[in-house]
Amino acid sequence: MNSSIGIIGHGITSQRAAAVLHTAGITPRITHVRNATELFDCKVVIMANGSPHALLVSSFVAQGVSVVSASDNLADVLALTDLDASAKNNNSVVVAGAACSPGMSGLLVRHMARAFESIDEVHTAVHGTGGPMCARQHHDSLGGISVGWHDGEWLQRPAGSGRELCWFPDPVGARDCYRFASPEPVLMQRMTPELHRITARVSATRRDRLTARLPMLRKPHAEGLEGALRVEVRGVRNGRRHVEIVGIVDRVATVAGVVAAHTAHALAHNNIAPGVHTLGELALPNADILDAVTNSGIELHQFVGTE
Amino acid sequence: MRFIRQVILAVSIAGMVAGVLRRRTKGVAATQQGGWQKVTPQR
Repeated sequence: MNSSIGIIGHGITSQRAAAVLHTAGITPRITHVRNATELFDCKVVIMANGSPHALLVSSFVAQGVSVVSASDNLADVLALTDLDASAKNNNSVVVAGAACSPGMSGLLVRHMARAFESIDEVHTAVHGTGGPMCARQHHDSLGGISVGWHDGEWLQRPAGSGRELCWFPDPVGARDCYRFASPEPVLMQRMTPELHRITARVSATRRDRLTARLPMLRKPHAEGLEGALRVEVRGVRNGRRHVEIVGIVDRVATVAGVVAAHTAHALAHNNIAPGVHTLGELALPNADILDAVTNSGIELHQFVGTE
Repeated sequence: MRFIRQVILAVSIAGMVAGVLRRRTKGVAATQQGGWQKVTPQR
């Protein structure tokens, strides 16, 4: 087996991930999903195509190939987490949800947690979409069921409900955000079991919510031009309640591609315990990945003030 | 006449849908005091 990195998908996220790897001196092998078996001899494969990923990931795992999945589909990510035993048996590492949200959000929570004695709440919100498949996922996720972690229980609520005005870094600013069918709470709870409350929201317009249960009315854009992520962590610092809010503003496909690429690079160059992981888990070199992500041009912004 | 009836019907339905959406979403409007500062992650 060689140390090469492969990428499945020819979309924008794939292109951004490839560009990052090129900068690091790695030339990834990029292929379409129908030719995925060509990458069975790679050490790590980035799945940057549209979901579902689980079936193909299980094939890679059976070959002992490590996989970085950028899927943000709830059912797909749940299926990926079910591959844990298989990954351990085949000495393979799978990182589920290595994109913007989930993905970058996990890295930020792990980083922000260092400012606390203990953390108990994480609330994330994301604005914008990457490529066309991401836009379809955004559309579908507003028409499903959202999950949230609340005092030790999984709460299911209709996606598109629970409006909250969330402030993102400029120039995005304030956006109405709603619950959506995101794997973020599942992965976040897996990463930090001590959390009491986890919510994930996405910005949406009234038209997005009204048409969420219908087929998309028009073809999605080639790329969402504006994107942002906001992560709010609550906990205890110096014996008192404390809140930290960190956000980023960049194209969602860029964030997803950069995070996926640096995660794959970390998998190829580190000895990580086999199994299914999520970004932010202690088993992964999160600080190294976050450093690499910021060095690739993703700027972190901290909210200072009161909301 | 038929066209006018259709327009009135469409406007009524749109109004009802908007009303339902507004009633269903009891959003919390947050006021922001402060701003965003660029930070560099420290090891």
